[in-house]
Amino acid sequence: MTLIEYFLLVFLFGAALSALFSRENLTSIISLSIFSTISAVLYLLYRAPDVALAQIVIGAGLYTAIFISAISQIRTDRQKNRPEDPLQ
Amino acid sequence: MKIFLLLVLFSGIGFLLIDNLRFLSNSGFSLGAATHYYVTQGFEQTGALNLVSSILYDFRAFDSLGESTVIFAAVSGIVSLLSRKTLPVSSHGLSIIVKRIFGILTPFLFVSGIYLILHGHLSPGGGFQGGVILGTISIVFCIVYGSSFDYTRYSPQSKTILEVSGALLFLAMGIIGIFLEGFFLANWFSSPERLGKLLTPGSIFGINLGVGIKIGAGLSIIFYSIIQKRIEGK
Repeated sequence: MTLIEYFLLVFLFGAALSALFSRENLTSIISLSIFSTISAVLYLLYRAPDVALAQIVIGAGLYTAIFISAISQIRTDRQKNRPEDPLQ
Repeated sequence: MKIFLLLVLFSGIGFLLIDNLRFLSNSGFSLGAATHYYVTQGFEQTGALNLVSSILYDFRAFDSLGESTVIFAAVSGIVSLLSRKTLPVSSHGLSIIVKRIFGILTPFLFVSGIYLILHGHLSPGGGFQGGVILGTISIVFCIVYGSSFDYTRYSPQSKTILEVSGALLFLAMGIIGIFLEGFFLANWFSSPERLGKLLTPGSIFGINLGVGIKIGAGLSIIFYSIIQKRIEGK
């Protein structure tokens, strides 16, 4: 176990905590993307290049795009409905 | 208090992770009987240099068929729930610098995706990873060039045809295996002098191609179904 693996594991832990406990949704998504990138580097260090490829493409690319589009849909709906709502 | 307990739990899990990885890297693995057979006989039996690919698409090909069926069901469900048959929300994309640079980068991304699909039996990668790269290209098209760029050029109907043809290619490899070798999804490769070449292993190459087309088109369909504008009520 080399020094760079300790550093990467510490940053992995920090990225996971940031994804869990941040209040803004966008911060959580970006932290999750950083988590995927660091874990892909770890998979590459442990000689699993297949899993590293899948992790970096799906975790850093696809999840981010799909989560951001889903959250932007929710936000536009809320902002659109707010002035028309008679109770507020 | 709750946050303190969570911190203790997570630091314990992190310590176990580090200790477990140290344990794994110090001691050697002991292979079981099936694992020993796959590691020693995988290359001669399937003709695939990539051992992961030979297990995924030859020894455990039926599991991969189940996985792609799950993805097919997910795409069908999302499209039937979210499809409104309207144009997606129009945006103008990013600045001209990003547009030009992504225009230069796109052919290399496409070639890397196609490389991962076609060389799935020779090098790390395979149909799934290459297909996700191809799907990500159309997603980045939406982000960089605005949401109507990809949608007007490649309609969802043609993507649906691509996805169904990928799934049918997977099934056709299985049925060809019935006729040539006697059982479903059997590998029908029979030319040991061409081991390690690009076009050698029969069914693994075709299954990689089918899975790649299917995953790429399916993920693109999912993304463009999500970003479509919803018409509430009327």
